Amino acid sequence: MIEAQHLIKRYGTTVAVDEASFAVRPGRVTGFLGPNGAGKSTTMRMILGLDTPSSGSVLVNGKPYRELTDPLRSVGALLDAKAIVGGRSAASHLAWLADSNGIGRRRVTEVLELAGLSDVAGKRVGTFSLGMNQRLGIAAALLGDPETLMFDEPINGLDPDGIVWIRNLMKSLAAQGRTVFLSSHLMSEMAQTADHLLVIARGRIIADASTDEFVHRNSTPSVRVRALQPADLAAALTRRGALVERCPDGAMIVTGLDSAAIGGAASAHDITLFELAVHGASLEEAFFELTRDETDYHAGQLTGTSQGA
Amino acid sequence: MSATTCIRTPARPVPAASISRTLKVRILKAEWTKLRTLPSTWRTAVLTLALGIGFSVAVALSQISQWHTMTAQQRQVFDPTSASMSGVMIAAVVLGTLAVRTITAEYSTGMIRSTFSAMPARPLVLAAKAAATAAFAFPVTLLGNLAGFELGQRIFASQHVAVTIGHPGVLPAMFFGAVAVSLVAVIGVGTGGLIRPTAGAATTLALIIIGGLTVGQFLPAGWRQYLPGIATQAAVTVHRSAGLLRPGTALLVLAVYAAIALGAAAMRVAHRDA
Repeated sequence: MIEAQHLIKRYGTTVAVDEASFAVRPGRVTGFLGPNGAGKSTTMRMILGLDTPSSGSVLVNGKPYRELTDPLRSVGALLDAKAIVGGRSAASHLAWLADSNGIGRRRVTEVLELAGLSDVAGKRVGTFSLGMNQRLGIAAALLGDPETLMFDEPINGLDPDGIVWIRNLMKSLAAQGRTVFLSSHLMSEMAQTADHLLVIARGRIIADASTDEFVHRNSTPSVRVRALQPADLAAALTRRGALVERCPDGAMIVTGLDSAAIGGAASAHDITLFELAVHGASLEEAFFELTRDETDYHAGQLTGTSQGA
Repeated sequence: MSATTCIRTPARPVPAASISRTLKVRILKAEWTKLRTLPSTWRTAVLTLALGIGFSVAVALSQISQWHTMTAQQRQVFDPTSASMSGVMIAAVVLGTLAVRTITAEYSTGMIRSTFSAMPARPLVLAAKAAATAAFAFPVTLLGNLAGFELGQRIFASQHVAVTIGHPGVLPAMFFGAVAVSLVAVIGVGTGGLIRPTAGAATTLALIIIGGLTVGQFLPAGWRQYLPGIATQAAVTVHRSAGLLRPGTALLVLAVYAAIALGAAAMRVAHRDA
């Protein structure tokens, strides 16, 4: 359980995190979604007591992080997989972490196995690929068998196997009743992994809802239709209150009517349909819809201005 | 007979002092594990011995080659013990740099965040790094001093000015030299905590140690002897010589520098974002 109250972080005149209040609850995967630079990592560093908030507070399992005894047994975190001194072996890196919180060496062997690193346990971390570093970071997070887990962009640099592994791991950790907090700027990944979403943009929490609810509320599903008599169908659907968009390939994108109503309208006018596909709203669209006015830099703004970002 | 009554043992709160001792032991153990599992630590030890003993021998050879040109007065104050353990200065610079790296390497890679997440008591982490490197520096320097002494005395034997290890003041000088380098390691950890980039911190430490031998020339002799590098040299002396503190005083001076450096670094590290 992570609870933030009016969390603010300022760097000079820049506000990195602006009055963030939220709760990350156990038993589900909570996605922390936002564009790069939105304040995700800063928030996570404040949760771990690494950065001091300018004002406000954040509690982990009911306590400020720095007051936890043996913090690794309460919270496991992966912030930056590459942030590791390369000369040590994977096993040695986990060994000092274990020593620091009174965790036995047997657990080191266990998490190495869990992360699929047993074969490279004695290899220098400096020779690891980013994917192997991510696995080591996850092994480190799991070391203390903590009830709260936090991962900052954990799938960066992973191959498809690794991505599926992480996705299943997050879900199983949440199913065990743990609090799983996962940041990403990859919306498709969030759609598949997170049960609940916390959306941040320019330091402000702009949505706190279940993933389904978020998608439903922030986007409109559409139906793609192709017919033998497109003009007739368009007219019929428009009369029924739909918004019809004609595509150059002859297809139509219909919003405002579901596929059953479209099929019914076609049949009533003897129109032959040869395509009727529901285009579900994606998290990506929902996210862009919601953050259209919030993101600092749109791709389009880069042209025509001489100022660098 | 009455029904069985269960006597509940009241939960005994763990005294705060014992929690804090467990915490200190764990942090010390973690920092020691970090130090010994880094292969470069052991390479540094080998480098310290090779360069330190080599330097001790070179200085001993140069001294003995000038023996015939020395005045009676110079021969009188010649200290065969300190003249054979000049490598202590090399040990101070190389092991001091190792101490610097225990903290700057973590800042430059970002691993410091793992360290402070696992161990939020930052001043204790710094103290543990200092204790671990000091404990490592002590035997390495002692071994170098012993080897330098033995080789040096063989060189000095040609002019019959060699002393034996049982000579009064020789063993203390070896130990004091190792303590001095251990204190320099503590200064190194402090320097690393105050100046985070490795290059900047290592250069600063090197100037603190050997800068005194050059820039120090311009200071009045009374001040010069309090410079960390000069105090390190004084630690291995047996004969009382002008311009150098007594070995015990020299160690005290180094301990004050170490306490100031580590204390300042602990305050800075505790209050800044990691």
